[in-house]
Amino acid sequence: MSIAIRQITKKFGRFTALDNVDLDIPHGRLVALLGPSGSGKTTLLRIIAGLELADSGSVHFDGQDFSDRTVAQRRVGFVFQHYALFRHMTVFENIAFGLRVRPRASRPPRSAIRAQVEELLDLIQLRTLAGRYPSQLSGGQRQRVALARALAVEPRVLLLDEPFGALDAKVRYELRRWLRQLHDDVGVTSVFVTHDQEEALEVADQVAILNGGRIEQVGAPDDVYNRPASSFVYNFLGNVNLFHGRIDNGTAYINQEATGQLVFVRPHSLEIGRQPSGANYFRATIKHISSAGPVVKVDASTGWGAPVHVEMSQARFRELELRTGEEIFITPNDLAVFADEQRAG
Amino acid sequence: MVGTLHLRSAPAVGESRLIRGTLIAIAVVFLSVFLLAPLAVVFAVALGQGVAAFFSTFSNPDTLSAIWLTLVAAAVAVPANLIFGIAAAWAIGKFQFVGKGILIALIDLPFSVSPVVAGLTYVLLFGAQGLLGPWLVAHNVHIIFAVPGIILATVFVTVPFVARELLPTMAAQGSEEEEAALTLGAGGWQTFLRVTLPNVKWALLYGVILCNARAMGEFGAVAVVSGHVAGLTNTMPLQIEILYNDYQFVPAFAVASLLALLALATLVVKSVIEWRIARRGARV
Repeated sequence: MSIAIRQITKKFGRFTALDNVDLDIPHGRLVALLGPSGSGKTTLLRIIAGLELADSGSVHFDGQDFSDRTVAQRRVGFVFQHYALFRHMTVFENIAFGLRVRPRASRPPRSAIRAQVEELLDLIQLRTLAGRYPSQLSGGQRQRVALARALAVEPRVLLLDEPFGALDAKVRYELRRWLRQLHDDVGVTSVFVTHDQEEALEVADQVAILNGGRIEQVGAPDDVYNRPASSFVYNFLGNVNLFHGRIDNGTAYINQEATGQLVFVRPHSLEIGRQPSGANYFRATIKHISSAGPVVKVDASTGWGAPVHVEMSQARFRELELRTGEEIFITPNDLAVFADEQRAG
Repeated sequence: MVGTLHLRSAPAVGESRLIRGTLIAIAVVFLSVFLLAPLAVVFAVALGQGVAAFFSTFSNPDTLSAIWLTLVAAAVAVPANLIFGIAAAWAIGKFQFVGKGILIALIDLPFSVSPVVAGLTYVLLFGAQGLLGPWLVAHNVHIIFAVPGIILATVFVTVPFVARELLPTMAAQGSEEEEAALTLGAGGWQTFLRVTLPNVKWALLYGVILCNARAMGEFGAVAVVSGHVAGLTNTMPLQIEILYNDYQFVPAFAVASLLALLALATLVVKSVIEWRIARRGARV
């Protein structure tokens, strides 16, 4: 089912959580709402679900206006940030809840409910824990139960609020691949909220980046990462080096006097050399090297005192034999320039 | 209330055996003198002239009527406060609305107002010389010096119990589970019965037990509106006072022992519930 969000505005007291937001979510896609905390992403998700009502604007499901429908009428699957599992019910009862509360006429018979719950238990690979209570499960297991519970009612759309926010790094990594796999198997239109750009870029088909209650850019991960529409998006989607600069005849100049433009360079787009190479380079002094990990991170200081972060492969690092305190030459391979209208946050 | 206690329970270290012994001794002596001794006296005097004398108390029709009235008052006050308490705690714990602070203050009012004052306000409202008195007399409705007055007074003094027990639990649990139930298609009533109520059942039971104990033991407010009509408007605590003032010590203490037994039973049930809540808390 496709979702269309039209001119949604929502205020909490004097705080504007969403400011005239438009967004289209195509059928069957996995879309990420990405933004820093307070950007309005969770509010938008709750408005789609009907848990929150917008001050103005409308929400359309398959072209039909659903703005005035109740939560139950919208038939959305919602996975809460802290799972919100029913603590007095077992895993089985949690998953069966949505089927058991149906009105008698549309409620499946007991045996059908059992079969459906068992199928979902297999899907989340927790069949052996059907009799456990939520408090007896790990974070990752609770998350999967919450997903199965939401899927049990065969929702038109699956909404997930920070689905991996409360998990440790390793579980998070495994679960997000599993979610992607699950989405490909089940095929239900899904929207998830996250503040983690890596998560959004890796899992989603489409990423909507929110900032201060507005949508900054919508696009495929490759699009938004490589063709950011604003300095905010560039800054938010990964580590950056920020320089103040100016443009003269199509050439960017960066040094301490330059003003008017913001020049961004990703740490992996900076090349370190022992000798100056080509015409574009600047001098820097190495302050710190962190070489434990797949990429080596070098912190340096430019000739005019600005900090600069460079990332390179282990092989390249060994080839250069860099040491702390050494003077090096840095060549930017790829830069992005935005007008310096406001401070990039 | 419950939360702050946990925060303060830092491990006590360094106190010498002498100080610990002294503190324990003070507590034991205090409890013995002010609680255990009076309790023992109640039973000793009640049974002082034999078991037969003890049981003959309960063949007195006035005493039986007092026990009956106490049960009736509790039977009305407890369910009334159960419904009010759940509704108020639900509203305060799960929603934001104008006047929330006032509602909380109102719920606490019976704790801060002397029961005698509460009783007096009912007399001033519903009494023959009171504000609504003439209208009530004209319509032949008797509230003061009658059973309805007793019930009203009992309801008033017990108002905070259920709501106060539920509030911290409901507020701490938030409304995510209810929202989850809604997204799964449950209606409001289903959500309440299947999600909200099971989550607060022990706190609820705890509140009911305390509410019941207070309803049966209330003296001040009931004394003012009762009028002490023997066999009609006396509750157990009032009957005890009347018997005692009549120098009928054995019957007075026999009825008192009933109330004391109620207190002990309440204590046992309360401890069991507290133990259950603590165990539940440890699991979550």
